[in-house]
Amino acid sequence: MQRTIRKVLVANRGVPAVRIMHTCRDRKIPTTAVYSTPDRLAYHVFMADTAIHIGDAPPIVSYLNANRIIEAALCSGSNAIHPGWGFLAENADFAQQVIDAGLIWIGPSPEVIRLMGDKIRAKEIARRSNVPTVPGIEHVTSAEQISTWMREQEIAFPIIIKAVSGGGGKGMVRVDQPEQIAQALVQARSEAKKSFGDDAVLVEKYIEHGRHIEVQIVADEYRHVVHLFERECTLQRRNQKIIEEAPSTLENDLRQEICVTAARLMRRIGYTSAGTVEFIFEPATQSFYFLEVNTRLQVEHGITELITGLDIVSIMLDVAEGKPLPIKQLDVVPNRWALEVRLNAEDPKTFGPSFGKITRLRTPLGPNVRVLLGTTEGEDIPPYYDSLFMLLMASGADRADALRVMDRALTGDLRIEGVKTLAPLLLSIIRHPKFVSGDFSTKFIEQHLPELVSGFSERTSEDEMLRVAQYVAEISALGSQSWM
Amino acid sequence: METSTTIQPTGAQGDYTFVRPGMTARELVQAVRDLDGVCLTSVSMRDAGQSDFKNRHRIFDLKALAPLFNTMGLFSAETHGGARWHVGIMNRRESPFEETRLLRQLMPNVLLQTLIRETNMWGYRPYPKNVIEYAVSQVDIDVWRCFSFLNDVRNMRTVAETVMKRGRLFEPAISFTVADWATDAYYLGVVREIVALCGGVDEIMLCIKDMAGVGNPARIGQLVTTIKQHYPELLIHYHRHVTDGLALPALFAAAQAGAKIVDVQEDALVRFYGHPPILGVQAYFEEGGIHVHLNRPVAEQANQKVREWIGHYEWAESPFKGYDHGVTKHRMPGGAFPSSFEQAEKGGFLHLMPAVLRVMGLYNQIVHYFDVTPGSQITWVTCSGIVNRYAKEQGEAGVKRLITLLSTFVEEQGQNLAAMSEAERDELLQLFRNAPGDFKNLLVGSYGRLPVGWPADWVYQSAFGDEWQTKIKGRTDLSPLETLTDDNLAKIRQSLAEAIGRTPTEEEFVLYLMHPKDALSFIEFREKYGVAPLVLPTDVWRNGLLRTGQKVNFELDGKPCCIELVSVGAEHEGVIHVVMKVNNVTRVYPVATPRAKKVEIRRAKATGDIGAPINGSVWRIGNPKRGPIQVGDIIRKGEEVANLEAMKMENAILAPFDGRIAEICVKLNDIVQEGQLLLVIEKTV
Repeated sequence: MQRTIRKVLVANRGVPAVRIMHTCRDRKIPTTAVYSTPDRLAYHVFMADTAIHIGDAPPIVSYLNANRIIEAALCSGSNAIHPGWGFLAENADFAQQVIDAGLIWIGPSPEVIRLMGDKIRAKEIARRSNVPTVPGIEHVTSAEQISTWMREQEIAFPIIIKAVSGGGGKGMVRVDQPEQIAQALVQARSEAKKSFGDDAVLVEKYIEHGRHIEVQIVADEYRHVVHLFERECTLQRRNQKIIEEAPSTLENDLRQEICVTAARLMRRIGYTSAGTVEFIFEPATQSFYFLEVNTRLQVEHGITELITGLDIVSIMLDVAEGKPLPIKQLDVVPNRWALEVRLNAEDPKTFGPSFGKITRLRTPLGPNVRVLLGTTEGEDIPPYYDSLFMLLMASGADRADALRVMDRALTGDLRIEGVKTLAPLLLSIIRHPKFVSGDFSTKFIEQHLPELVSGFSERTSEDEMLRVAQYVAEISALGSQSWM
Repeated sequence: METSTTIQPTGAQGDYTFVRPGMTARELVQAVRDLDGVCLTSVSMRDAGQSDFKNRHRIFDLKALAPLFNTMGLFSAETHGGARWHVGIMNRRESPFEETRLLRQLMPNVLLQTLIRETNMWGYRPYPKNVIEYAVSQVDIDVWRCFSFLNDVRNMRTVAETVMKRGRLFEPAISFTVADWATDAYYLGVVREIVALCGGVDEIMLCIKDMAGVGNPARIGQLVTTIKQHYPELLIHYHRHVTDGLALPALFAAAQAGAKIVDVQEDALVRFYGHPPILGVQAYFEEGGIHVHLNRPVAEQANQKVREWIGHYEWAESPFKGYDHGVTKHRMPGGAFPSSFEQAEKGGFLHLMPAVLRVMGLYNQIVHYFDVTPGSQITWVTCSGIVNRYAKEQGEAGVKRLITLLSTFVEEQGQNLAAMSEAERDELLQLFRNAPGDFKNLLVGSYGRLPVGWPADWVYQSAFGDEWQTKIKGRTDLSPLETLTDDNLAKIRQSLAEAIGRTPTEEEFVLYLMHPKDALSFIEFREKYGVAPLVLPTDVWRNGLLRTGQKVNFELDGKPCCIELVSVGAEHEGVIHVVMKVNNVTRVYPVATPRAKKVEIRRAKATGDIGAPINGSVWRIGNPKRGPIQVGDIIRKGEEVANLEAMKMENAILAPFDGRIAEICVKLNDIVQEGQLLLVIEKTV
């Protein structure tokens, strides 16, 4: 059934909100922003055509406040809601509420979200569809249960405890020793409860030296399922991705196999809109295991757009309007390599969050660079939300080319003052010989951290100049000092 | 840091360079022997600034002289050592290493010279052998002038060996003064020890260091003649301050007697405690028939150059202006004058200076050594301490009485304690009771042997009271090189690394070895303000930008930079907002004034202090099993005592040992910083 999107409410903030508004502007679709109290002067608010205040700082009363958001859509004349990523993006109840309110939900159906949101059922479905899965145990409530499973299935440490309705690394705890099991279980359940409102967890064998490969899928309501090839998201810290690339460095045959497997699974479950099938790849055995389906637009979708020339958000809008996919599988011909780094407001040595005001922000320009910015100069990074404020992408004819562009982007014009960012770490990683040669696993950062940190470049002329300026400012204000 | 100053010397005719870095010690000695007439060492970049300007001359200004020095035909330029090092890191915020690098670049033909205080090096205490070896080998200097304030040649051994092994020129100095005990025979004995230490006279030069400026022309002429009679091949380098007003004839007398090198500085730098003027010396020598190897037109340009910047340092000049022939009595060295006045001014006893100088003149007849670092500091602190104590307890009359007491004892009674009244004796026996620790260390031999014997017993009684005999028994005649055990360099380096939170550079480590506290503050300063001390002109360095539109231009990495003042706001709640254009970008700097309210955040420091591992919010104090915890609760090792949330990730804080909660320093939902004290646990024993 064809329907027309007249105005889109973006139920998000920062980077995802801005990203979705870009495509809406391309298609001349007006947008509505929602915002919490500390976000009243945020970038996404000013990008939108209409802005509506939905509550105070804590997400539970603002960006997770489903009723307020639907009200905002209705009173702003929006007839569609895009959830972005994070917050309500994988909340089936919210999707249903949106539809029940007579609005268009830009995303997969609530049924599919619910099905794939339950990690245990998702795994069962994968297994039934002949998609390999990681050995694991479900419905876990006690440490004894875990120990028994490990003994019976001859599973060796490490293992990982995960929130059933999780994602994004939250509610995930790795366990290396028998005596850690109890404490880890408590923590995982509590984090799960806090992040997803559900404390159900599952336990799996942890794949060592694993590589994280995921396949981007787009599908329409006419059972057309097309994969847009895979991405590699192996580089993570604390189980959260910080560098992604497309395609992966796997052998071509394996790439084909993974992509086709993913498309088959998504067709089987009747997927619509954009989504991702995540796999863990074990180099030792050259095997891949299904991890989960992300029923939403992902942070790293941009690199797939760069290698295919497609606009995934635009495809989501098409599908939401009931149109068929604008492309067929054979039309998708990736012809370059792309890389993305996530600029989080974090200490690059400790990964501790770095809240504060971005006092100066200059983004890199030049050939083959794409920047996605969720904030403007002068804005605060508030402690309540995700610390991601900028995505930096680079593309090139091949991987080496893309790495060169990324190096230039990170060392050239990029300048952020006021908060610490991951930039020094990211630069150190993309220059590391092992990363350059494609020899890395999900543990790369923890294994090489001291080495990476020692590679942080100590100074730039601009930093030096600002130090001198700081001195001139202080002496101009305070006059000659007694220590002189 | 690259800098842009380039001066093309004009009027330079012919090449005056006759020695250059890289030549062996033997070649250098030969080159000077072969030279017609005398040659010059310029002390403009070190001792000149130290003697009259509190060592405040910045390399930013001094470097303008370097291209001229490069073609002037100097024997060497003293650019390093003495107190310039310490004042550099404390007050100018410049490192001696970066100065040396810069000067090497700008005057590659010139031998760079340092002044080193044997075992005391560039600090104020005797360092053990391994520290000396390490530090000396890290410093890129060509000529090493080394003196001992005790003329204890044994103390020079490690410096001598390390310098000579590196193939650099070692220039041992004899500390010179005029006193009844300082005879030619005495100095010849010192020279003999020096020649023995250095294995002859072909790879060294001998410096006669008249650091106070007290040698009258006849006396110095006679001493040089005597040394030359015994060691005709030994090169003599005469260093003399101008304080007594007799420098020019004294220098001339030394040259006539055979000294080959004399120390000078730009005429425009000469004040009252430094060195003779280069142009005047050249003219006076030539008139007297002694040729001076010097490119005079370039020397004139250098003099002109000094006039361009010397006006910025008026504030640093000594408040006591004018020559002072009284120096032959109190013997305060030129290099110590300005800092003594600075301390007297800061300590509020400038008016007592004449009395302090008088007491010094009497004191140095009681304890015999040379008033040069660290001796001059010991004399200064001891004598100014005594005078201040009398002034405080008995007022001006007391100070007068002290001087009468001492002059009676020293000048009339020939230091015969028995000739004094009982009351006077008692007073003398209390004189040094509150003397500084360094004075007492000197008495027991920590610095080495005194030049002409230990002071009389009553000095020990006065300094140590009842313990005086034990102290004499414990007194050592050995050199500190023999008594000091090596420092653990790895451990010191580790403590520096911990203090600055990263691996220190070799240069930072050497700075730390010399002056631990000041090196740390220097490193902190430079991390905050970068190369500001090197690139800012002196007026901006001292006063900042004063008017709207005023600009300062400098170069960094070969690129131009410009800072322009837009406005300085009024102080509001302890903050002044300064608006500047930095390379055209407008920036606002909130500057906290000393009146700014400081928000005190307690940091976790002690063993039982539990700090926040990250920035975040405290969402739980306690754990789900036992619920909230309170002060007095007993907790087990590994038990969760609090939990921080940041960006939706939980971070459990676990008890490091069994104990009792002594204090909870945060409330639920507080936003805390990394390292902030959360709670205190008392260990259960």
